[in-house]
Amino acid sequence: MALTKSSACLEEAELQALIMRLVDAPEHADNPMREPLLRLVKHCEGQRERLERLVRISDGYHSISRDQRLSLAEQYDKQLRRLEKLARISDRYQNSLRELSEALKDSASHDPLTGLDNRRALTERLREESERATRKHQAYALSILDVDRFKLINDRFGHDIGDKALCAISDAIRGSLREYDACGRWGGEEFLILLPETASEYASQVIERVRAAIAQIRIDVQESALPPITASFGLTLYRPGESFSDTISRADTLLRVAKAQGRNRVIVD
Amino acid sequence: MITGTFDMNDLNIASTQSTPGIQTDFRNGVLRMHGDSYPENSFEFFGPVIEWIESFLAASSDPLRLELRLIYMNTSSVKAMMDIFDMLEEAHGKGRAVSVAWHYDPRNERVLDLADEFREDCTFPFDISPDVA
Repeated sequence: MALTKSSACLEEAELQALIMRLVDAPEHADNPMREPLLRLVKHCEGQRERLERLVRISDGYHSISRDQRLSLAEQYDKQLRRLEKLARISDRYQNSLRELSEALKDSASHDPLTGLDNRRALTERLREESERATRKHQAYALSILDVDRFKLINDRFGHDIGDKALCAISDAIRGSLREYDACGRWGGEEFLILLPETASEYASQVIERVRAAIAQIRIDVQESALPPITASFGLTLYRPGESFSDTISRADTLLRVAKAQGRNRVIVD
Repeated sequence: MITGTFDMNDLNIASTQSTPGIQTDFRNGVLRMHGDSYPENSFEFFGPVIEWIESFLAASSDPLRLELRLIYMNTSSVKAMMDIFDMLEEAHGKGRAVSVAWHYDPRNERVLDLADEFREDCTFPFDISPDVA
């Protein structure tokens, strides 16, 4: 392009020089074409300058728009990277919050030491089972057990051993129940067992199995031997229509009877 | 923010359940932020912080240090923090001494990963370290 332009310019310059030589020649001084030719040459010069100016301006605009396009693309890429980073960080925060809320939900319903349901979860389950039992006229069995002389274990062997015993008791209870039975830690060394749709006779067998499993627990303690771990149980049936707190107090009363009769036994009403 | 020509009000915002505590120390060039950040209006909440940093960078040539103990943040807070780090990056590019020290509770290692994500693209000193119990 530059080559063609320059050769065209050269041609034009040569032509102009030739015309000027002819116009300036003395023999053409009176030629009537001399005046119009001079005007034509001047006009051509003006046109050429116009054209060059036009190209310069047009190139300028072209280069401005090119720069703008490049900087827009750059800004766009930068914003895109920023947005991706924002989303990435935000997602991570959201994930850790979700996990935190799951952990909280779990700790709200489970006893941290034994992993069994806690009192809150048990109360919820009792409410559900009582409604169902009333609706279907089918009683559930409820047992409360209290570890015998637990304070002595804590006092003599320390809380670590006490905690160990509670975990072993939890495992023994869980291991003796059916999948759909519920159990949990009701208080310090008190556990609650709920057997849905279970008749009194079969409930006695299940709870007797739990009692025997607890009595078999052996925990190794350095130097002195841990006395056998036992528990006393009160067992009763839910009476459709009654408040479950009535069922609990009945089981509790039976549990006191078991304690009074020498512990390590199940008392049923 | 600026009360006199070169005099500047420091920020002292107590933390709440949803907003971090913020303290600035103009004389020593330190800005501290700590806690969770879930402001209802992040733009409004972080506005004064961004203004303080802008004013500090404009009014002095001393080093600026951010001490952060941020835990959880909502998306608009993450964006505000990215804006703040961009300001520091720009100042750093002009030869200004700026730095970030992000402390986290060693029991919550996730904060380390998150702070690390923020640090990406930052070329100024950005230190992440566990708080000593």
